[in-house]
Amino acid sequence: MGTFDLLLQGLMAALEPMMLVYALIGVTLGTAVGVLPGIGPALTVALLLPVTYRLDPAGSLIMFAGIYYGGMYGGSTTSILLNTPGESASIVTALEGNKMARKGRGGPALATAAIGSFIAGLIATLLLAFIAPWVVRFALSFGPADYFALMVLAFITVSAAFGDSALRGITALFIGLGLGLIGIDLQTGQTRLAFGIPDLLDGIEVTTLAVALFAIGETLKVACSPTHLKEEVEAIKGSVWMTIEDWKRSWASWLRGTFIGFPIGAMPAGGADVASFLSYSAERNFSKHPEEFGEGAIEGVAGPEAANNASAAGTLVPLLTLGLPTTATAAIMLAGFQQFGLQPGPLLFANNATLVWALIASLLVANLMLLVLNLPLIGLWVRLLTIPKPWLYAGILSFATLGTIGANAAVMRIWGVSFSFELLLLLAFGILGYLLRRFGYPIAPVVVGLILGPMAEQQLRRALAISQGDPAVLFASPVAIVLYVVAALALLLPVFLRLRGRGQLLGQLATDED
Amino acid sequence: MTDRANVTRRPDGAALVIAAVLAVIAAVIFWQTAQMRVVAVYARVGPTTFPYIVATGLAVLSVLTALSALRGSFPAREKDNHGPMFWIVGGLLAQMFLMFPLGFSVATGILFAMTAAGFGQRRFWFSLPVGIVFAFFIWLVFARGLQLSLPSGPLEAAAMSLFSSMSGGA
Amino acid sequence: MNKLLLAALVTGALAQPVFAQDYTIMAPAAPGGGWDQTARTIQQVLQDEGIAGNVQVTNVPGAGGTIGLAQFVNQAQGNPSQLIVGGYVMVGAILTNQSPVTLDNVTPIARLTGESVAVVVPANSPIQTIDDLTAALKENPGAVSWAGGSAGGADHILAGLYAQAVGVDPTQINYIAFSGGGEALAAILGGQVTVGVSGYGEFASQVEAGELRLLAISGQNRLEGVDAPTLSEAGVDVVLENWRMVAAAPGITPEQEAEINADIAAMVESDGWQTALADRGWVDTYLAGDEFKAQLAEDIAATDGILRQIGLVQ
Repeated sequence: MGTFDLLLQGLMAALEPMMLVYALIGVTLGTAVGVLPGIGPALTVALLLPVTYRLDPAGSLIMFAGIYYGGMYGGSTTSILLNTPGESASIVTALEGNKMARKGRGGPALATAAIGSFIAGLIATLLLAFIAPWVVRFALSFGPADYFALMVLAFITVSAAFGDSALRGITALFIGLGLGLIGIDLQTGQTRLAFGIPDLLDGIEVTTLAVALFAIGETLKVACSPTHLKEEVEAIKGSVWMTIEDWKRSWASWLRGTFIGFPIGAMPAGGADVASFLSYSAERNFSKHPEEFGEGAIEGVAGPEAANNASAAGTLVPLLTLGLPTTATAAIMLAGFQQFGLQPGPLLFANNATLVWALIASLLVANLMLLVLNLPLIGLWVRLLTIPKPWLYAGILSFATLGTIGANAAVMRIWGVSFSFELLLLLAFGILGYLLRRFGYPIAPVVVGLILGPMAEQQLRRALAISQGDPAVLFASPVAIVLYVVAALALLLPVFLRLRGRGQLLGQLATDED
Repeated sequence: MTDRANVTRRPDGAALVIAAVLAVIAAVIFWQTAQMRVVAVYARVGPTTFPYIVATGLAVLSVLTALSALRGSFPAREKDNHGPMFWIVGGLLAQMFLMFPLGFSVATGILFAMTAAGFGQRRFWFSLPVGIVFAFFIWLVFARGLQLSLPSGPLEAAAMSLFSSMSGGA
Repeated sequence: MNKLLLAALVTGALAQPVFAQDYTIMAPAAPGGGWDQTARTIQQVLQDEGIAGNVQVTNVPGAGGTIGLAQFVNQAQGNPSQLIVGGYVMVGAILTNQSPVTLDNVTPIARLTGESVAVVVPANSPIQTIDDLTAALKENPGAVSWAGGSAGGADHILAGLYAQAVGVDPTQINYIAFSGGGEALAAILGGQVTVGVSGYGEFASQVEAGELRLLAISGQNRLEGVDAPTLSEAGVDVVLENWRMVAAAPGITPEQEAEINADIAAMVESDGWQTALADRGWVDTYLAGDEFKAQLAEDIAATDGILRQIGLVQ
């Protein structure tokens, strides 16, 4: 058991008092910046990474791990409480989490997110430590055709977030797909739908769209709607803690989320957002309370949050074993690792054993520290909701625009007037978000379309280019076939459940379509 | 959520506008894609295929939305106030255009005060200074402390030179 | 705890010297990317070595750096304290995006680092040498799938130049573009494609571990400690290096240009810079002044030629 000894040794080092202090500082900083609406984990890590440079390698590693986890958890907090996800992976969390918060159940929502994240992080980090080489082999066996099948599956699962009308859900999805077309086509270098605006050549930034639709759209809706404006949100109704019922409903979701999130995160073209979509749809299918979905079902927070965190640990599999950064956050982490003298790649575990195990131990300790710091703070976070609306939303808009302009400081000049095109997009999409809400369109499918559309298109075209145009390649691998079967099941299972008379909501969906 | 009994079964004007907008978007995508030069690729599925699929989908959805609008099967809407909309959108526009001449703090302070006004807090003599101080504090932490690139203007420059003369002069 | 940290950050922010800014460096890329890292390394070394008092970095990402470049040219005109980081990718992007602003609009200062593009195959591929690859390409160009970065980037250009050099029509190459972050590497390791082209750094650890076979590298000279020929040595007359540079504003005086040149030269010679390069695995290919300008003109001409051939530029 060499692996186990090495891990123990790493843990011993990471548990020294000074190291625990560094972990705590990292988690605090990460949470503090990550909690700002509109600032996602990638930006949080990029901003705070330099803070770690001044410490010795072991100290900076552990502080870095803390920032990483803190940033991710901070993002979920605002998603749940304020309906303002700062990145694509917390969108699903906002779906159910914010409904819970509106009902005064923000405490249990935050708790299930924190504990779920901890459990997922723990299991996934241990999986990373012990089975990374096998997982990576599996992940590499995915070719473009298999990814396309995965995208098809993900598309089908989006329907779980459609709300009460399939027509409006699909329309929202197609708006996202349309936005996804904008920019330079990766395969041919041709420009699509950019209308001669250079700032559109790289396409629409997912973060900008998500922050606009959620943070700005929500602000406009709350301000303009007489009922929303008067609505008194009670920060805590009942217990701030999870009830026994909540625990019962959460634990299986945490585990399912973990086992969906880890492998998807490990895939070079997977990602936490896809994992969280799949987890949400799985929870909806498995839940004993499908009628609560869309109204604040705790499973819909527990599963995706666990999937999100497990996927983040999964991302480390290709990052450490292949040197493959598969997300924006991972790319920034790679830069960080190099700073510490870690050279990710197949020889990492052989050449840098001490540092790798120190990193893994750091992740475990930081994960624990996150729970220690944030569980007691839940009562405080929930009180964010008691800030008077004028100041709360004024603050949200300030931070949302800060994140946007900070990541993209481009200046556009028209007729001698300088302005930020990215802020213009933010405003335009914010108004779109308001209109969608006003006319009963769901928001999440728009963002999902923007994320999945280009991925599906590129993978399909890659697969067909490699096969020189032979469509048989799409069904050639067992992985793809399995994924199509799961997709078919995901499509048919709700129908089956409805036949058994279990989902009134699903039944309503059908009558809506007549 | 929607109480289906309350739905007014008559043509929904706004929903018809949505249908028209979807049709326009579909037409724009068709038109722009038709302008593209098609190069032969091994994949056979080129850069124009997906745009055509999306445009077709939007066109179909436009028709379905129109039908749904005529049947009046959109959920009932409450009457929204428009005043707050003007305040908040105005605040965002003001911030966007004032960001570069006046710097982050002043522009964001104005956004802050106008958003608060949208929510009924119209005491500008209070909200504007609070907003500017708040934004300046953010600017300090993010632009100076964390090296995020945020636009600076006269206020930031003046404050920094004041600080430096204080620390330098002492 | 929170307030304490915030207070520390703020005092830290205030404690920085705030005299006239010596340099503002634009990284025409998002935080965390290659150009951003280059800009931030320059910032750090200039400050740590006392070459400049205060250095700021701004990020203006988009369209292969052309958005940042256009903004730089507009705003920095005649301002000797403004610098921009860029690289070979920009040369291609300016051409394919028909950017109204080109590198002629800035004052090139120096090439700082360079990376060879590597041509690799999976370890179990039947292709053993460059000659095998050439033979396969000549037999059926469509059957050889090339994995690399986005269309029109350095990797695609190399594949085009390769085909051209061995007498295959560059429009016939079956180039599969992957988005950055090593997605291409995964496809190569998984045996999804025939051959991979990307910066050597992305493949280095896989080559060392024997998972990939390095057929050749695209630079002028062999890499130290790497057992692979250059493309020219292997009989394909192509040289391509993916370099990064720093440039100054347009319209500055020759004296100002000389001053910036001196600062950058001092930076490159410093221990801090050399350590940073070693840490990040960057190869020092410092080239300044007129020699660099001549090299740049040559690169632009060659790139323009091949992009027209491939059909990405009319």
